[in-house]
Amino acid sequence: MELFHNLLLGLATATEPVNLLYCLFGVLIGTAIGVLPGIGPIPTVALLLPFTFGLAPPTAFIMLAGIFYGAQYGGSTTAILVNVPGETSSVVTCLDGHQMARNGQAGLALAIAAIGSFFAGTVATIVIALLALPLAALALKFTAVEYFSLLVLGLIAAVVLAHGSVAKALAMIVLGLILGIVGIDVSSGAERMTFGFPQLADGLDFVPIAMGLFGLGEIAANLERTSADRQVVTKKVTGLMPSLADLRAAFPAMLRGTAIGSFLGVLPGGGAALPPFTAYALEKKIARDPSRFGKGAIEGVAGPESANNAGAQTSFIPLLTLGIPSNALMALMIGALMMHGIQPGPQIMREQPQLVWGLIASMWVGNLMLLVINLPLIGVWISMLKIPYRLLFPAIVLFCCIGAYGISNSMFNVWLMLGCAALGYFFIKIGVEPAPLLLGLVLGPQLEENFRRAMLIADGDVSVFVRSPISAVILLIVAVLLVAMFSPKIAKKREEALAE
Amino acid sequence: MTSRVDLRDALFGVFLIAVAALVFYATRKLSFGTPADMGPGFMPRVLAGIATAFGAYFAIRGVTTAGEPIDPPQARPLACLLAGVAAFALLGLTAGIVVAAFATVVIAGLGSRETKPLEIALFAIAVAAASALLFVKALSLPMPIGPW
Repeated sequence: MELFHNLLLGLATATEPVNLLYCLFGVLIGTAIGVLPGIGPIPTVALLLPFTFGLAPPTAFIMLAGIFYGAQYGGSTTAILVNVPGETSSVVTCLDGHQMARNGQAGLALAIAAIGSFFAGTVATIVIALLALPLAALALKFTAVEYFSLLVLGLIAAVVLAHGSVAKALAMIVLGLILGIVGIDVSSGAERMTFGFPQLADGLDFVPIAMGLFGLGEIAANLERTSADRQVVTKKVTGLMPSLADLRAAFPAMLRGTAIGSFLGVLPGGGAALPPFTAYALEKKIARDPSRFGKGAIEGVAGPESANNAGAQTSFIPLLTLGIPSNALMALMIGALMMHGIQPGPQIMREQPQLVWGLIASMWVGNLMLLVINLPLIGVWISMLKIPYRLLFPAIVLFCCIGAYGISNSMFNVWLMLGCAALGYFFIKIGVEPAPLLLGLVLGPQLEENFRRAMLIADGDVSVFVRSPISAVILLIVAVLLVAMFSPKIAKKREEALAE
Repeated sequence: MTSRVDLRDALFGVFLIAVAALVFYATRKLSFGTPADMGPGFMPRVLAGIATAFGAYFAIRGVTTAGEPIDPPQARPLACLLAGVAAFALLGLTAGIVVAAFATVVIAGLGSRETKPLEIALFAIAVAAASALLFVKALSLPMPIGPW
């Protein structure tokens, strides 16, 4: 019955007026920014992060989570109405969602996306609540040895399941780890790679890095492309209430999508792109008439959207129970925790029950809000879609500057962001994904600290990592993953699976 | 169309090696220690070593295999974007948020060929005023409003 007790505590926290207000606020802002084409959840969260510092931690995280799934939902809206996916996870929604909009079913597509997301969110909330306690209890048995192995697994698995070249992603993790070294070494007090800047003593702030790499670098690359005509579906969106027949057609797909998303979301690296792609492939495979897909099949919206939202939520599980982010966005969340002075890790459930359970319960509350407010507000989102990019991007640049300054009220971070923008542009030009760098940056200090402690316990004997049974199993999984990735046959299969 | 060398891989390799060299240089005075008692220089050098290996791998693979050419980079969008950010960093604390915001929006806006001068100027004034109200007044961001 501890579960009920915890969920009640969470609901009590989540329904406090101030938290409800900030949840609403987060969902609205998240959707508003997420709707804008070309801005995914990562820059959205990074941009708004500095403005949550003044809030109490539970309130701040409820708002951040609201921003996150608001941004996700906004991305789907854009995908359906404009055929420009705001982010990788809504690429599949474009396929059938936009076709439905073209067939005059924009309202139905939006409603199905919202209902599917809400259903998936409800199930995922329960999954989180069920899994959180046993996982956190297991993690408490971990010493530095097991924790180091777990961090390695987290980093490697995130790379393997994400798209792009594995070797390049591993190199980017190493770059991130190197950036994580910057600052004063905790055990010796020596300054490392600060190049004489006192602002670097506490290490690099990750928000300017994330905004530079993901937000500004992307804008610079976008501006080089000739602007493709954005075809906003301008017809008045009607038919927001789906008929019973529509619901009956969509519901099985929602169920399957939710199951796929909940499972894949827990895996490191599975949070973003994998669930909707897998769900879409499955729907197409089991459909009686696969040729309907790509022409406005309702299952093609319901399945991926449910999977997307379920995955987005269950990707919080490794973060809340083990303190390990499964993707770049969760890395941002970890960074946010640290900025609030909360050390992420298995002890967080015990020390911050209000924060953890409040956040879990608020996900359900937030999803309900999305369902209730977003559909009536659809006219507002459509008008935001009509802002031309030539006005949009200078404003985004400005907000990034203000956000970077706002983290620690220092212009140093603005300069840091400027450097990262140039770096992000370089990475895009040479075709390297920047997301693994962020993971390395956030986990680097923990990786070093746990390795140091493990070595201290074992007196420099590296075999300690295979002598501990838990650690040995974890490292075995890492080895299997790595061998599998570099075997040409499986690598090809993976490419096919991710390309579909 | 493919080119004889894979410039993307080669550039990434060179970049990694350059970063590793910088790390080796910057941490040359820190003690390495032993695995049982790691010094502050332990992790940086191990990581820089790994980065060098990755760098060499990509550099060699880049010059020995054919690849897609890189889209030619365009100077204007990136330069305007970076200049816009620099303008904010330089002006923000001296001239205040209104001037800085105006300059950032206009300069960044020049990065797009579609930008219209009058439109962007009016838009920048509106955004600058809104930023002052929202961030400085409402969210009490510690930044002066104007140069006075």
